[in-house]
Formats: sequence, C-alpha cells, structure tokens
Amino acid sequence: MNILSFYLNNFGRIMSALEVHIFIFLVALTFSTVIGMAISIFVTQEGREKIGRIILSVMGAAQSVPSLVIIALIFIFVGIGVKPAIIALVIYGLVPIVFNATSGILSVRPNIIEAGKGMGLTQNQLLWRVKIPIALPVIMGGIRSSSTIIIGSATVAAVIGGGGLGDFIFIGLKLQKPEMLITGAITVSLLAIIVDYIMAKIEKKVVSKGLQIKKT
Amino acid sequence: MIELTNVTKKFGNKIAVNNFSLHIEKGSLTMFIGPSGCGKTTTLRMINRLTPFDKGNIIVNDTPINDVNPVELRRNIGYVIQEIGLFPHLTVFENVAIVPRLLKWEQKKIERRIEEILELVTLNQSFAQKYPLQLSGGEKQRVGLARALAAEPEILLMDEPFGAIDPINRLKLQDSFLEIQEEIKKTIVFVTHDINEAIKLGDKIAIINEGNLIQYDNVSKILSDPANEFVENLLGQDRNIKALSLKKAKDYVLKDGFITVLDTESRESVEKKMKEKNIKIAFALDENNHLKSRFVLEKATETKKQKFIYNPAPWIIERQNNINEALSKMLEAGEKQLPVVNRKKEFVGIIKLSNIFEEVNKKTNIS
Ligand SMILES: Nc1ncnc2c1ncn2[C@@H]1O[C@H](COP(=O)(O)OP(=O)(O)O)[C@@H](O)[C@H]1O
Ligand SMILES: [Mg+2]
Repeated sequence: MNILSFYLNNFGRIMSALEVHIFIFLVALTFSTVIGMAISIFVTQEGREKIGRIILSVMGAAQSVPSLVIIALIFIFVGIGVKPAIIALVIYGLVPIVFNATSGILSVRPNIIEAGKGMGLTQNQLLWRVKIPIALPVIMGGIRSSSTIIIGSATVAAVIGGGGLGDFIFIGLKLQKPEMLITGAITVSLLAIIVDYIMAKIEKKVVSKGLQIKKT
Repeated sequence: MIELTNVTKKFGNKIAVNNFSLHIEKGSLTMFIGPSGCGKTTTLRMINRLTPFDKGNIIVNDTPINDVNPVELRRNIGYVIQEIGLFPHLTVFENVAIVPRLLKWEQKKIERRIEEILELVTLNQSFAQKYPLQLSGGEKQRVGLARALAAEPEILLMDEPFGAIDPINRLKLQDSFLEIQEEIKKTIVFVTHDINEAIKLGDKIAIINEGNLIQYDNVSKILSDPANEFVENLLGQDRNIKALSLKKAKDYVLKDGFITVLDTESRESVEKKMKEKNIKIAFALDENNHLKSRFVLEKATETKKQKFIYNPAPWIIERQNNINEALSKMLEAGEKQLPVVNRKKEFVGIIKLSNIFEEVNKKTNIS
C-alpha cells in the first residue's frame, strides 16, 4: 500500500527520473555499439586475427570487473555529473559488444570466407555482406547484454551524479524510506525487462531467416 | 585457355609446387590427381590468385594474371570447393546471384539466368527461396556449382567438389556433372584424389607428386602408357578394366527394338500394339518423357503360354554411366537390356548386354 501511494504521489518525479534514465541508456548504448563495432571490425581484419584473440581474452576478463570499479575510476579521473556517468557506462557497455562481435566475426567458417574471396568479393564486401550478417545473432546478443548492463549500471552511476532512477534507491537508502527504494528498484527492473523484450524483437527482425532455421 | 610456365611456389623452405609447366586447352576438363599434400590445391589457387606464386608465369585467356586485378580475375573464374561455402544467411537465389550482382547485371537478367542455371543443375525452381541449412549435401553441391557458373565464366576451378559426398550420390553427381559439361563446354580444372573419378570425368589427367608434374596426357594414353611406376601404382592393378570405364552408356544407346507409349494408355491396347509390331518391350512415358513403367511380352515356350508382364519401376541406366556401371546394373537386375535416361530423367533409348560384351571382347583381344 505504502509503495502504491508513494508511486501515485510522486508520479511526476518518477517519470522524469525514468526519462533521464532512458536518455542516459540510449546515449551510452549508441556510443558503446558504434565504438564497440569499430574496435571489433578493426581487430578482426585479415592479418590481425592475433590481436583479435588477445582482445577476446582481455574482454573476457573485463566482464568480471564490477561496474562500481569503472564508475569510481571515472569519478577520480573525470569528476562528477551526467557526462562522467555516461562515459563510465559507455566503457562498461563496450565490453560485451566487443567480446561478442569479435568472437562472432572470428568464428565465421573459413570455407565461407574462402568461397567469398574466390568469387571476387573485396575485403569490404566480405565484411559487410558476409561476416557481419553471419555474426549478427552473436553481435545482437552482445548488444542485448550491453543494454541490460547499462540500465543496471546507470543506477549505480547515480552516485557520481548521473541522475535517473538510481537517485530513488540511494536517497531511499539514506533516508531509510523503503517505499522510495523499492519504487526505484521495481521501475528499473521493469525498464530492463521491457528493453530486453524489444531487443529480442529487433534481433529476430534483423537476423537473416536462414540463420534462425533449426536443423532437422 | 590456361598456361602455366615454370611456376614455382614455396611456403617457407617447403617447395609446394616445383617448376610446373602445363597447357590447359579451352573447353577441356583437366583432372589434377596425386597424394594429399602434393600441391593440387596450391596450383589451383594460384590460377585465381588466391595464392601468389614465386617464380614463373600464369596466363589466362592471353593475359598474364599478375596484370589483372585479382578481384576482377576471380569474378571471371568460377570456383568450387569441397566445403562449398554457401552463405547461410542468403537464400539459394541470393547465393547464386552474388557474382552477377557484383558485375552489376540487371535484375531481370539475373532472374532469368538463375531460372536457367537451376534447371541446368537439375534443381527444382522452388529451391530458389530455400536457405542452405534446408539442403542436403548433394543439393548444396549443385547450388555451389550453379553459383560458380552463374555469371557464365569461361573457366571453372573445382577443388575436390564431390569429396565429402557419399559414394552413391557422388556417382550421381558425377553423371550429371558430365552431362552439364557436355552442354556448357567450359575450361575446367578439377582436383581429385580418386583415380576412378579422374578417369571417369577427365579429358586429360595431370598426375602430381611432391610438387612435381609426373605425367600430363589424355586419359586413354595415361591408362595405356603410364610414365613410371608411380603412375602405375596410382592406376592400380585393374588398368584394363579401368580402361573399359572410358566407354559410356551413351555410346551404346539403341533407338530401336522397343516401342514407347503414353503412361495413360491401357494395358490391353499396349499389348495389342506390341503383338501387331512383333516387339517384345515397351516403355510407358509421361508427357515429360519421364520413364514410368515397362511392359514385356515373353516368348511362348513349349510348356508356357506367351506372357505379358507389367513392371512399374524398371531399373535404369544413366547416359553418363560407364560400361562397368551399366554392366553391374544389368547383372544386378538380371536383365539383358535396360532403359537409358539423361540427367533430366528423360528416356533416351535402351542398352543391350550383347553390345557391351562385344566391347569387352574387343578390349581383351587388344591387351
Ligand atoms: N598456407 C600454407 N602455408 C604453409 N604451407 C602450406 C600452405 N598451403 C599449403 N601448404 C603446404 O604445401 C603443400 C601442398 O599443399 P596443397 O596444395 O594443399 O596439397 P593438396 O591439395 O595436393 O593436398 C603441403 O605440404 C602443405 O602443407
Ligand atoms: Mg587440397
């Protein structure tokens, strides 16, 4: 009851925090995706496969670093506010995208690449028409995990002034108002679930049907 | 036309191809054969510049290939590999359309061409919208061939294309491949490690060992005149029987001694026709000339009356079957004659055991 009445009484505040949260998420995800894909494409070019493998192990290790560590480091080096928060989230969101895109592109079967080259595809055509479309299910998986991670970590980024729904949780904690804390937590969780659902739909749409067929 | 002159390729200290000279004529089917690691794939990949060579010269259609942009060169040379490498995210249509699209053909022309090429490799038009994961091994191989031929290259390079196919389907693919080549007359270099495949398919065979070209000649010449012990061993003990396999069923097809009827015709009327014309065998065909069934009028003997036999699924021989294959089918079926069909399964005539025996007799007299 407490929670519901808190929700209704503070509806405006919750909605504007949600807006900020979504804004931070979208900006961070866009940067993570663009930068992450650029890195993956760079390290998977022919002749750089070794760098690709190194990046893979680095990213594998980086996935186990807690978001708070990154946020704290950014706080030390960049300071406080929305911008540092976004920078921290972009860096943190990069990890699954680079990991998945790099491993996805590197695992396109060599005979497919051989056939493509043999038909006279240029390196660029091979990348955009063959490797990336085939790796797309894995790449989309990376973007999906990145979304979930950014939404969750954005809550933590509130400690360095990121704003958003994290404020409710931290202020709720400080003021010992559980209804405030729980409201923030529930809203963030709902946001994460809905975004993941939308991402799953997008994935189904953009990934070729030929890759979604189950072998019988 | 492909001309290799003193071509050498080293990987580090290892000589993969040693001072190779080879002239491949336009419209001929040349087989490369030799033990694993002897340099077959390397030689093939040098022709479309997937592997650079160290010394010598390669000329394709009067131009040294090093003077041509490799991407341009490859768009004009079809390339088929054992693993095929179909693009799983594209439909059969899109896979086959790759090179025509790279060459900026009009959409209408591409559609027409793909219809034609699927027909050529005997794939039903409904395959166009399927994805590679929905195809069997043999179907994938046909799509791979269609893709390599789509933009009408003059030259086709094939690296053990049927190597991963089970023996029965491999024979079928070989038969239809020969029929296709009879129609398109491309300059083909075909790598294999199966001597029977080399003998069955090739106009010429290049025998390679440890990077050296051992013998390059017409198939019959290689069988009758092996250059050295290595070639003899490669050919095996049964060289004379293998030489028989150079003769194809199509060389023995007879167009008479039987009648054809429509498969809608009643048995009584077929029987009547056969008796009138005094013909022992009739084949029932549908409107596409596909063989449906067979009728036999057996001779009357002292103890038995004349019998009229209906046979709904007769044994068949493919035009491209060699005599060995035709013979074994006849023995297995226990028949003195069998119908022959082409790659589209259209009835073309019959083949008789007695004719094959004449050939065998001729051969054994020679050797
Ligand atoms: N990319 C490569 N790097 C180093 N050695 C290679 C490479 N490709 C082929 N070789 C070597 O060259 C020789 C010929 O190989 P290949 O042409 O593939 O043989 P084949 O196709 O006849 O089995 C082999 O000894 C093989 O190990
Ligand atoms: Mg090989």
